[in-house]
Amino acid sequence: MTTLETGRTVGAGIDRVDAPLKVTGAAHYPNDFSIPGMAHAALVGSTVAAGRIRGFDLSQAQAAPGVLTVITHLTAPQLERGPMTLLGGSPPAPLQDDRILHYGQHIAVVVAESAEQARHAARLVRVEYETEKAVLGIDDPRAQIVENPWGLDTDRGDIDAGFGQADVIVEDTYTTPDNTNNPLGLMATLAAWHGDALTVHDSTQWPHNVRTSLAAIFKVPESGVRVLAPFVGGGFGAGLRVWSHVILTVLAARQVKRPVKLVLTRPEMFTSVGHRPNSVQQIKIGATRAGDLVAIEHHGISSVAMEDDDYEPVSFGSAVAYACPNVLTRDRQARLNIPCPGSMRAPAEGQGNFALECAIDDVAHAVGMDPLEFRLRNYAEEHPLSGLPWSSKALRECYTEGAERFGWSRRNPEPGSMRDGRLLIGYGLAGVSYPFYQVPCQARASVRRDGSAHVRSAATDIGTGTYTVMTQLAAELLGLDVSQVRFDLGDSDMPYSPQAGGSGLTGALGNAVHTACRRLVQEFLDVVAGDAGSPLRGCLLDDVTVGDGRIHRVDDPAQGESYADILARHGLEELSADGRSTPPRSEDLGMAPAGAFGAKFVEVRIDPELGLLRVARVVSAIDGGRILNEKTAASQIIGGTVGGISQAMFEETATDAGTGRIANATFGDYLMPVNADVPDMEVLFLGGPDRATAVGTKGVGEIGLVGMAAAIGNAVFHATGRRIRSLPFTIDQLML
Amino acid sequence: MHPFEYTLADDADQAVAVVTADPHTSFLAGGTTQLDLMKDGVLSPERLVDITRLPLKGITHTDTAITVGALTTMEELAADPVVRERLPFVREALLLGASTQLRNMATIGGNLLQRARCRYFRDPTVPACNKRNPGSGCAAITGIHRMHAILGTSDHCIALHASDVAVPFAALDAVVHTQGGNGRRSIPLTQFYLPPDDTPNVENVLEHGELITAVEIPLLPAAARSHYIKVRDRVSYEFALVSAGVALVTEDGLIQEARVALGGVGTLPWRAWDAEDVLRGSRADTEAFRSAAEAALQGARPLPGTAFKVELAKRTLVRTLETVAGAQS
Amino acid sequence: MKHAETETRLSGQSPPEPPRVDITLNVNGTSYSLRVDARVTLLDALRDHLGLTGAKKGCDQGACGACTVMVDGKRVVSCLGLAAQYQGREITTIEGLSADGELHPMQAAFAKHDAFQCGYCTPGQIMSAVCLIKERRAETDEDIREFMSGNICRCGAYPNIRAAIREVAGEG
Repeated sequence: MTTLETGRTVGAGIDRVDAPLKVTGAAHYPNDFSIPGMAHAALVGSTVAAGRIRGFDLSQAQAAPGVLTVITHLTAPQLERGPMTLLGGSPPAPLQDDRILHYGQHIAVVVAESAEQARHAARLVRVEYETEKAVLGIDDPRAQIVENPWGLDTDRGDIDAGFGQADVIVEDTYTTPDNTNNPLGLMATLAAWHGDALTVHDSTQWPHNVRTSLAAIFKVPESGVRVLAPFVGGGFGAGLRVWSHVILTVLAARQVKRPVKLVLTRPEMFTSVGHRPNSVQQIKIGATRAGDLVAIEHHGISSVAMEDDDYEPVSFGSAVAYACPNVLTRDRQARLNIPCPGSMRAPAEGQGNFALECAIDDVAHAVGMDPLEFRLRNYAEEHPLSGLPWSSKALRECYTEGAERFGWSRRNPEPGSMRDGRLLIGYGLAGVSYPFYQVPCQARASVRRDGSAHVRSAATDIGTGTYTVMTQLAAELLGLDVSQVRFDLGDSDMPYSPQAGGSGLTGALGNAVHTACRRLVQEFLDVVAGDAGSPLRGCLLDDVTVGDGRIHRVDDPAQGESYADILARHGLEELSADGRSTPPRSEDLGMAPAGAFGAKFVEVRIDPELGLLRVARVVSAIDGGRILNEKTAASQIIGGTVGGISQAMFEETATDAGTGRIANATFGDYLMPVNADVPDMEVLFLGGPDRATAVGTKGVGEIGLVGMAAAIGNAVFHATGRRIRSLPFTIDQLML
Repeated sequence: MHPFEYTLADDADQAVAVVTADPHTSFLAGGTTQLDLMKDGVLSPERLVDITRLPLKGITHTDTAITVGALTTMEELAADPVVRERLPFVREALLLGASTQLRNMATIGGNLLQRARCRYFRDPTVPACNKRNPGSGCAAITGIHRMHAILGTSDHCIALHASDVAVPFAALDAVVHTQGGNGRRSIPLTQFYLPPDDTPNVENVLEHGELITAVEIPLLPAAARSHYIKVRDRVSYEFALVSAGVALVTEDGLIQEARVALGGVGTLPWRAWDAEDVLRGSRADTEAFRSAAEAALQGARPLPGTAFKVELAKRTLVRTLETVAGAQS
Repeated sequence: MKHAETETRLSGQSPPEPPRVDITLNVNGTSYSLRVDARVTLLDALRDHLGLTGAKKGCDQGACGACTVMVDGKRVVSCLGLAAQYQGREITTIEGLSADGELHPMQAAFAKHDAFQCGYCTPGQIMSAVCLIKERRAETDEDIREFMSGNICRCGAYPNIRAAIREVAGEG
């Protein structure tokens, strides 16, 4: 493996390459596209959570101006469920029978000449239901329980013996509510058929998955399906799957033989594209009086849809966070009549870390130890499950340097002891060990006669900075200026890319780009291998390096020539090379591939009379491996931290008893932070390149969120002496 | 949205005549409530009469009152120098009431007529809503109602009146001037709204087609020392969980005059007469403030989801009184 | 109750056309004449009828600010107004903010401070921020926070948005 040497381009906090488009309104998101002759679709959602459709009265809807068709399960063709994917099964195909499994389930789609007409007609669809009693609560005894859904339950040591050695045991129940991803971009699909060929603009985080799924569902050749998503208005996991509305838009376009566009409404965004499921977690931790962890037992149960799957192992993180000889984790899911949950930024980790890191603080408090010191004392030097060394881990530095920057030493350990006038002040921290995730990826790189490079892969940039960091990486690897490199993505005709998700894309794509660029340099060397006029003749890849648009010899940098010269002399317009990356394996490395690590330090200020909680300061100390762009990476951490503040203090999707209706499915009712809720914050990147891959990055898209709920909860405890174990922390919980 | 005809009004008399004549015709002003509810399918007028170009804009002052044209925007009223100087809590309530974008659109008349934020009212797929569909029941009472009222509620409706600026308006005995099919009239704000009782669909005393032309706000000496506190989960841009508007005159530590109204707790902007009675003549201290708060919330009828609001409203009122009194001493 | 398969479109009787309005909008210095369904909002008129897709639809309920445009120099949410209401007004969208390919200072500051991620809320944030400066509400951090709170950024770029605004306010 040739590792990336530190260069001029990689790491620099350059402005986003797509900034000029985004600040001028010229970046086109899926719902910005129009096609002449296109019709518009609107959905009808079930208003009950369980039962059957007894019948429709479509007379008013069909007679409404501009309506082209109304499709229901009575008129829809049979559609197969989409294929198995890297992330599990596809969502159920829509409109296949009369059964209602959740509120908001799409039961009809109306197509009309204009969006106004389609939406109006959708309201005119009358439905008669045979309603059944819905199963809506995790605690409903009728709920089917799925044990160990992913085979990730862990048993290390002897949990009973561990608790037997404990001087202190804390045992509590934590709950987290449903959260809704709510990317600001309303998810949209625009589908156009040309015979058996299909072009789709879609708000997806994974164009290839949309292509593969639609080809399978509509039984057309995959090569004829093109999915475009050059810009996506956020995702946070909502764009990982091929949801019902995408299939219905494609179906509608086929039925009316015109391009069809469908834009979800904001309320539909709460029921159509996944959400973070609620959880109930029991956690029990034992420690010795000296502050050594001896046992961690963590049970989590999450909600899941009746006939769909979701990867949400909330307790698993507790198995790999600390050096503790006896650990037991158990995950279960309860099948409910709810809209399908799905990944939402830091799935499982966001919920599980809240329970673990609050309980760790309680244990530290019980043994009279500073919570920072307690975490350092129980630091996992090796991967706790495999016993292998980590491919990188600078969590210790995150703790110590983060604490230094934050001023942790000023913390008076006594709860309720720090004040500013009538405000109570609390300091809290949490540690985060984010799981490693990487899947195969491909990229293609070309250099043209004018010396510029074009690199592409069917990835997406959902705000993560992929356009920018891959441009920088390719520029570094080819020895070009950033301005000479164009990186394209968001088109399923490009080489295969996995999803923007799991904090795994930068690693997967970066290493594919690395391989492609190295191979491209090799292509140039192959061209000049027998070229008597080339100073590079006979050079092997390791004999050369790149810079200033040229390849030159390592032993004599003056000996080299430019890409442009090589291409010109050989009469070539361009040379290209493909690269692919495969995830590193611990058995090859002798190390455990590491995800990112982090320590979150938070100061809160609480008005105890009015129950007002404000986050005043945050320091995030992150080991993200090699940072490709310090500006966009910091933005990822800041944004994740805001998501964590949101999880901790605001977000809760509320469901009505009985009907399963989402009771707060608007932005006026479902609270997320506004500008005034968010303090300025500091981000420190610590550690160096990870040893598991050539590029050495670790994903930073999700870790920023994790730990915030616990750090704020720990700060609330420090400020008030009150431990709140149920998210979000609202005024009614905080009034003293 | 249900299809509708759009008409631009250039004459108030004509606009009133057109709307009065047809129960399916509505006025359209800033649009921030009307269009929102039309998109939700709660309102479906067949004709909209756009009144935004009528000459009902602007603020006039006398020594004792200011008169605000009904089409004056929230932002324009907040910027008025007399409001800034002599009605600070009106300005505060306006600025805390909506985003700048909405304040540039929403009119003062429209603000007073804003409809309930209740998600059961605003979702026509919910069968039970007495406000939307009289006699159908109230889904909120057994539903999720953290943002609902605890004062002035009935067994038929617990929807909150969410206006912020109506709170100081109520405290000041503002007067609503209207023009309707039966001519012009002036209605004290404290008599303008109707409690839900068993007709929550009737929210105020206006006849169909009766247009608010202006709001007259007395310039009471007390209002120059006034304050509005709004408590909510977010720091900004959210409806109140509870709010309090207070104006006080004290002399030698004794309260001469007190105007108190609450928001976020009532089915209408809640003038706290009982609290004012407690305060008038009392010493301006926390004990009196607490007694006033107890009096203000005496009639509260909390539900499980709103139980916390009773104490929160008391504390918010005490804090507001302390702030105003502190600013005076 | 009849079932769907028994339903047929009333033949020989075309449904009534929705009422339409003839309007003229002045957008970014250009006058456009349109005939639209009376229901069309200013936002949808800009996006779907004039091809100005910079203003974004994030909630269609006036609660996110992504559709913020300037009308007669003041910021409004274009999703809560009918297009017909804005005849004769001077409408400025993100596309009209800069001339001749030069970025407006606020656009440049947003790029420099990485004041966005997915970019979807960005046109609305920038239009709001430009107005914020005109409103003289960018002089304290507290004011910037409060008076930019009508624009939601789900990616969480708020600290960087403030940094961009501070820079432009400082220059002004």
